[in-house]
Amino acid sequence: MIATIALIRDTFREAFARKIFWGLFGLSTVMILFFLFLLKIDIVEGALATVSLFGRTMDRTTDVDRLVSNTYGGIATFLYTWGMALAVFASSGLIPSVLEPGRIELLLSKPLSRTHILLGRYVGNVLVVSSNIAYLVLGVWLIFGYKTGIWGRAFLLSILTTIFIFSVLLSVVVLIGVMFESAALATMTTVGLMIMSPILAQTNLMMRLLSSEWSRQLWRGLYYTLPKVYDVGKMTLDVIRNGSFDSYMPVWSSAIFGTVVLSAALVLFAKRDF
Amino acid sequence: MTPAAHLAPPDSEDAISTADLAKIFRLRWSGREVRAVDGISLKVQRGSTFGLLGPNGAGKTTFVKMLLSAVHPTRGTALIFGRDARDPESRRPIGYLPENHRFPTYFTGAGMLDFYAALSGVEEDRRRKLIPGLLDRVGLDRWGSVRLGKYSKGMLQRLGLAQALIHSPALLVLDEPSDGVDPVGRRHIREILSALEEQGVTIFINSHLLVEVELFCREVAILHKGKVALSGKVKDLTAGKGYRLSASQIPERLQSELRAKASSNAARDGLVDFQFPTREAANEAVDLLRSERCEIESLVPTTSTLEEVFVRTVEK
Repeated sequence: MIATIALIRDTFREAFARKIFWGLFGLSTVMILFFLFLLKIDIVEGALATVSLFGRTMDRTTDVDRLVSNTYGGIATFLYTWGMALAVFASSGLIPSVLEPGRIELLLSKPLSRTHILLGRYVGNVLVVSSNIAYLVLGVWLIFGYKTGIWGRAFLLSILTTIFIFSVLLSVVVLIGVMFESAALATMTTVGLMIMSPILAQTNLMMRLLSSEWSRQLWRGLYYTLPKVYDVGKMTLDVIRNGSFDSYMPVWSSAIFGTVVLSAALVLFAKRDF
Repeated sequence: MTPAAHLAPPDSEDAISTADLAKIFRLRWSGREVRAVDGISLKVQRGSTFGLLGPNGAGKTTFVKMLLSAVHPTRGTALIFGRDARDPESRRPIGYLPENHRFPTYFTGAGMLDFYAALSGVEEDRRRKLIPGLLDRVGLDRWGSVRLGKYSKGMLQRLGLAQALIHSPALLVLDEPSDGVDPVGRRHIREILSALEEQGVTIFINSHLLVEVELFCREVAILHKGKVALSGKVKDLTAGKGYRLSASQIPERLQSELRAKASSNAARDGLVDFQFPTREAANEAVDLLRSERCEIESLVPTTSTLEEVFVRTVEK
């Protein structure tokens, strides 16, 4: 346990030193301050009277519940796409840095299994990003709750789903890091998966458009194998807006993908010579 | 510092024991094999000071890395205090200072020691007590709160030694410990290592600095092309001017007789080296060996420094 805590603390220390933590923290703070000071909401008898942004009053009227759930949905989507890409970009160097010659030998000389070392680093990395996600979502949730009096708890689900998908994508970063020790390649591969996800999610449409059976099988194979970043995001949005979602399939299939990829990274790391 | 031997299992006589240890790297595209370490069998007794020597590319670092399981052997076994080197627990009694280490520069001196001590399982209270004393011991007591980016190479080396000592290891494996350290610092390191030797710590040094090894180590092994080219006690290998006779296929009875006449002897690679103080003694030994139809490999005049022994060995 002492060693595990040390590995996690070391990841935080490196994230602080590389300004990764403070970069994410700063962006989250800017977003929280934006909602705290620049967005003013006046509510009269449960209905929205005015919304002012940057001091300008908007004349659109709508009901408060919808405004809040739409805003939550917007933030969740923003966090899910751009926040996730930033987190992946920021984290991609934290695995190859441990494998640098002169550093890895010393880690391996300690009475720890290689699985312990890599998992300690992985968990530390997930916690660095998780703390920022939790800070941002909770901050926005508290501000909106305070300003509107509506405490949409479904929005808090986005903390879990964002951390979950980040953990799955981080397993790819770890695998590429162990195989090639390249932060750039790890980022490219992971962002590539994120970009592919909404395209692959159009399965019904593609089944009609694709002419051959093998291409349809390939599409389905890729869709069910790769992490469903888009589907889990949509699922989160559905819960925030409607309180329900279609299926757990995007979650469990992404979890299987993450587990398999992380296990492959652990096996490769255990077999490598340094 | 507390005596360290408690970290090692009490029943193991050898701190390090390898049998036919080999590492063959296969080049990815050509498929060509490179035998970095080629069947090394070596024993380092508990409490001894052992130097591993060899020219560049002899396989020293690969051998050390196999002891620490950073490199997986192609064949053979390595035991640390009787425990398989692949078992992470075998590394608990080891303090290691790698060559060309790269400590993360975001650490302070004290922070770095705290991190590596925690990885060795040292409790936080104990770490807090140990760190100031260790920094003082390596002459860095005023640098504990300074980031490593500001350290000179020699200071990093001394901090690396403190890191290797923090969990009171029973076996110290030091890869080029004096690298980048000035003469005063070297003497300081030697004094620290001598104190550890008195406490019963086994010290295994991998170094190019033959003078350093000669000054400190009691035993050495010279690696050449992945094999042990020569091994023995330093005082035997540098036993003054005389004649070194190398022969093979010597019956045990004759070996005992020649050992009694020789000033020192050492075994290597199927050969036995005998050091004779005079030309007459060497000639007498040649006569005895030839009468038993033994194969004489060489007979050479010797001088006394480890460097000369080293050069002679690797140039054979």
